[in-house]
This record gives sequence, structure tokens and C-alpha cells, in this order.
Amino acid sequence: MENLKLAKKKTPNDKTIINIGELKIGQDLIVIAGPCSVESEKQTVETAIGVKNAGANMLRGGAFKPRTSPYAFQGLGLEGLKILEKAKKETGLPIVTEVVDPRDVTWVSEYADVLQIGARNMQNFSLLREVGRVKKPILLKRGMYSTLAEWLNCAEYILAEGNPNVMLCERGIRTFETFTRNTLDLSMVPAIKTQTHLPVFIDPSHGTGKKELIESMIYAAISAGTDGLIVEVHINPAEAKSDAQQQFTPEEFATIMNKARQLDKFVKDVIYRES
Amino acid sequence: MNLEDIRKQIDILDGKLIKLLTDRMEQALLAKRFKTEVEDKDREQQIIDKIRDNAQNLLDGDFLVMLYQKIIQESKELQKKDTKIIAFQGEHGAYSEVAAKSWNSNYIPLPCVEFADVFEGVKEGIYDYGIVPVENTLGGIVSQVNDLMINTKLFVSGAIEIPVNHCLVTYQGTDHREIREVYSHPQALAQCRGFLARNKLKGVHYYDTAGAAKMLSEKGLSNAAAISSVLAAKLYNLQIIKESVEDHEINRTRFLILTKEENVEKGNKCSIVFSTAHKSGTLFSVLEKFAKAQLNLTRIESVPNEKGNYAFFLDFLGERDDQKVSAVLESVKEITEQFRVLGFYREKNIQVIL
Repeated sequence: MENLKLAKKKTPNDKTIINIGELKIGQDLIVIAGPCSVESEKQTVETAIGVKNAGANMLRGGAFKPRTSPYAFQGLGLEGLKILEKAKKETGLPIVTEVVDPRDVTWVSEYADVLQIGARNMQNFSLLREVGRVKKPILLKRGMYSTLAEWLNCAEYILAEGNPNVMLCERGIRTFETFTRNTLDLSMVPAIKTQTHLPVFIDPSHGTGKKELIESMIYAAISAGTDGLIVEVHINPAEAKSDAQQQFTPEEFATIMNKARQLDKFVKDVIYRES
Repeated sequence: MNLEDIRKQIDILDGKLIKLLTDRMEQALLAKRFKTEVEDKDREQQIIDKIRDNAQNLLDGDFLVMLYQKIIQESKELQKKDTKIIAFQGEHGAYSEVAAKSWNSNYIPLPCVEFADVFEGVKEGIYDYGIVPVENTLGGIVSQVNDLMINTKLFVSGAIEIPVNHCLVTYQGTDHREIREVYSHPQALAQCRGFLARNKLKGVHYYDTAGAAKMLSEKGLSNAAAISSVLAAKLYNLQIIKESVEDHEINRTRFLILTKEENVEKGNKCSIVFSTAHKSGTLFSVLEKFAKAQLNLTRIESVPNEKGNYAFFLDFLGERDDQKVSAVLESVKEITEQFRVLGFYREKNIQVIL
């Protein structure tokens, strides 16, 4: 990890704070919530209002979907971006959405506040270089077979192109365990904080793939000191076109958020208080 | 070729037919301005005869005649109504037309090639109203319009300010990744410079924003886009790739509504134009009179006129019946040259175009 000129921590308290509107990422607990895919204007706007009322800080939603099968729903594309823009207008929530094609990077930047690089594209170096050239913050997910060092080197690609605002996101890795969709590597939160100044997020939805496990992992992630969470919420999970098993309803999400905020306050006061 | 392709072609042709029918109805409306009676049997017969001559293969003569009788009937219905025409410069879908529709949606907006055509047509009574831009928050004044205001003796009977929201529009089915060139009026391109640079798009100058949209639709260009209004996108059946592509949020244009006669309706705004003698302090003494009467000025603009001198346009808040206002105007008239009250009128301020 000697080659990490920009991603590496310089001093023990070295920390990047990213400002998006009023939000201070890296300082306060930031919760990104929303549907896996943008399916329609109604579904997206209603979910956006739901997560906003529940206390989410940003809206997620996929317009360009990288899917395992080429025949699965691929997302609404540009139409999806327009819908996300409408949802932002309605709620004021900044937009987080994935970009998969280097040719789409500048276009997605016109609509989104944060560009997500998905786990499958973590080492897509031409895509990393492209997002390094725009002015929007990047949420870089950890590839499912990647080590901490490989992950930080990918962040370095973006930083080296001149974009200083990179957020990392652990979303579960492949292990021999098949009961869960992935194995959520929570130890990454304290581990990566020893190495880098960049904020780190946890995605418990993809990390477990099972609705009944997500709630515990949210509390565990907060206790581990995560800077933020990204959670899938859908107005009607049973009819979702993707990830139906791991999306909360806005009501379920609101109950969890209430507890999560209290826990965050407790954790910051008792465990991570700077003395 | 397949059924879907053919249906696409039919949709395009239908769009063109509707456009042509609209153009024809507009001409019918104009024709009424040059004749006293709606009904003209000879002319109708002339049209029907010509149409019957055009019957060929697929188009049966009786069908054509029946179709045209319907069209002529509709034209006559239109001519019988007391329709007000408002003329604007540019192609259909221009921001001036957006302003005209926001001013009064019952007026029929008709396009003119030049600003001078708008002024001339209103002066001759062909159009009931004219609508022209006078200033834009980013682009400044429209000098051609100010010159015409001085030289043709029309009155101002209203004003409206609208937001200018530029859209990136393309031919239906164009992939946004394929766009290389963007056609529009130089001023619109300048207002979107940052957006074009970020997306590595090349701006190409065109005479009009709506004209660029029309050209895209007619040529069916698949690797180009235009910057125009939402209205133009709708009129020319184009897809909107991105709304609000201007670099600055506050992009607004103010328009004046012109009439041949002075406005008699109530209003709280007044426009005047005058020039002053080439002596020190003459403009100051005019402004002083407004200041002393506590009248709020909303616009002052100087335009060089032919004598090497300047004409001044001045707008202020004030009503016709106000004694204070008439006293100030009377005293300003005494100390200026070529003084003219353009009108008392109301001004509309539109925040969002629906």
C-alpha cells in the first residue's frame, strides 16, 4: 500500500469531509435510502417522500443497472435519470445513482449529486479514470473478490485524475457461505480507517440479501463506526423489478431509522467521543 | 422494412399534415384581415376545381373535394370568430411565442421573419398585437427593438417577464451518447457554454432556437441536438434529453406588448421615451423630477439616435389617473425633446412556465 500517494492517511486524525448541500459526509452519520431500480415516476417519487420522512439524507435509485443476466431488467436509462431529478425536486434529497458506461459519466453527472461505481465495476479502470474527471463525489463500492489494498488502489485511480471526493462502500464479499447473499465484512470499517482518510459506508442490503438480517447489521455498522449507510427501500417491495427480497417498506425503514439515530448519538457520545 | 417502421413513417407524415393544416388556418385568419365578408363563393369554387384536377391513383376526386369542403368550412368558422392575432419574431416555438401564450392564451401567435415585420404589421392593422423582447438578464438589451420603438410610433400596452429554460432536444430515438453538435441561436449557446463543455459538445450557430429545433425535426439528424424551449420540442415532436441546461439559474427575458392605439386599460407601469439637449445636466434634471415626486424608476436605457444624440427609454411605477404622475410627465415634456408616452399598462411576472 506504499503506492497510495493520495488515498493514504497522512496523520492519525487525517479525515476527508465531503460537503453536499448541508450534509457533511465523514462527520455526521449519512443515510442513503431508496429503491434498487427506478421503475416508474410514481414508485420513485413516493419512495423518495417515504425515505425523506423517515429521516434519510440522500436518495438512491438505479437508472443503469448492471445485471447478472443480459435478459434481466436493465434499467430505464436516461428516463430513469429524469425521474430521479423529479424526485429530488419534490423532496430536496440529493441523488446517488450508478454509472456503468464511460460514455454516460458526464451525462449522469448532470442529474446526480453522487456517482456510484458498483462492485462489479470496481476495477473497471477506464470508468474510474472517467469519473475522476468530473466534479461530483464518487461512491466506490468494494468488489466482491477484492482485498482492502486493491480497493484503495481503485480509489487512488479516481483521486489521481483530480477528483478528491471519494466515498468507499463495503457491500459484502464472496465466501464459502451461501446462506447469506454475500458476507458483510464489517471489520473493514475499523480496518480501512487505519489506512485512509476517506469516508466509509456500509451497504447491509446487498451485504446480507435477507431482509430479516439487515436491521441487525445497520446497528452493528453504526457501532463499528461507519460514516454512512446505504439501504434499499421500496414503496411496494413485493412488486420490485430487482432485489425484491432485500427492500424495506418506508414504514419498516422509519422504525429502524428512529432506533439507528438514537444508537448513533449513543455511540458518538460514549464510544467514539474525542477526548 | 417492417410494420413498425412503416407506422413510424405514418406518424411522421401525420405530424407534417397537422403542421401544414395549422399553417393553412393561420393564412385563412390573415386573409380575413384583407376582406370584409367571410364567404367568397368564387374563391371556394376556384380551390375545389384545382383540387379536383389533382386527383390521381390513390386520391379519389370526390374524396379530395369532401376533405377540402371540411377544411374550408373550418376556415370560415375561424374567420367568423373575433380572434386576436399577436405577432412575434422567430419560428413557432420561439421564446417570444412562449411569452405570448403566457400573456394571453386566447390570442393566436403568428410568426414573423424580422422584428420590423412585427412592428409594420401592427402599424398596418394586420396584427392586433405584437410581442417583442426588450431585455434579458444575461444577454442585455435587444437594440434592434429599441430602434424600432423610436422610429415606428407604436404604443406599449403590456409587459411580461418570463423565465428562459433552455432544453437540450433531439430527434426521436437519438441516443444521447451519439450527440456531437448542438444547434441554436448564438446567445442560447453562450448561456449554456458550461453544459456544452462538460459534455464535450460542439455548439453550431443557427438563426433561431426554435428554427434549430425545426431543422432537426425536418432533417431527422441523429447525431445532433438543439437548444430550445419546451414548447419547440413539443411542436416539432422532439425528445427532451435534459431540461434547464443554462449555466445560470436566473435567466429571464422581458417582453413588451405593442399596439397601434394607446392602451386604455388600468395599469401601474408607464414607459416614456425622450431625448435631451446636448448640455450638461439635462438628463439629471429629468431624473430629479422623478426623484422629488418619489416615483420609482424600473428601467433607464440610452440608445444612440440618428442625430448623434441619445434617446432615453424610461419605465417607472405610476398610474395614469395619479395627479402626481401627470404633473411630472408635463414638466418632463417641457425640458426634453421628442417626448412621447408609450403607455400606461400592467406588467406580468411569470415564475414558472407550465
